[in-house]
Amino acid sequence: MLILTRKLEESIRIGDTITIKVLAVSDGQVKLGIDAPKDLKVHRSEVYEEIQRLNREAAKTSKTDVSSAAAALKQRPPGA
Amino acid sequence: MKWNNVQFGEMDFEEKHVVYFPDGIIGFEDHRKFLVVNDESSEPFRWLVSLEDGELSFPVIDPALVRNGYTRQYLAMDDVTVFSIVAIRNDAVQTTVNLKSPIVINNRDRTGRQIVLDSDALNVREPLTRLAAPVLE
Repeated sequence: MLILTRKLEESIRIGDTITIKVLAVSDGQVKLGIDAPKDLKVHRSEVYEEIQRLNREAAKTSKTDVSSAAAALKQRPPGA
Repeated sequence: MKWNNVQFGEMDFEEKHVVYFPDGIIGFEDHRKFLVVNDESSEPFRWLVSLEDGELSFPVIDPALVRNGYTRQYLAMDDVTVFSIVAIRNDAVQTTVNLKSPIVINNRDRTGRQIVLDSDALNVREPLTRLAAPVLE
């Protein structure tokens, strides 16, 4: 892994099209500004990994489970 | 056209109903072709069935049924069909809906994408105990 030290307002460039800038640092949090082409997907790692896990779990769902969940919903009237 | 799925058996479908996901679905990036399937016993849930892997299907729901005004508030896109992937645990006692990263299908060119919304008000596992709105026929 390449490790770089940057100060506030400094940035790094990745290739010709990606720029990541340090916008703010406080209380152990770093705020980054990312400029990248629109077709390049940028995600928070932990959110992306959670979605991956959920999708893999959902992919194994049986019709029987979905029917049961549907039946359970029908017993409760819609509303907040 | 015909396709065989382990849960749905032999399915008949028309080419124009195929939804193409150029980037796949998160965690399933190699799967590009899906079909939205209605199954009476699953309503109000529907299914996103892979047309490349006969064992792959995802239960989904219209997120507007889970949160009122979802599409208008969080997506503001025209001519799209939106689904959230559903996870069911503990023998269907615990059902959650992914409001954070919906599947967005462009109705004009039948392409689909799973996008990630940048809102703290949306959860990857939003509990679903009752519908927010009745299902419109």
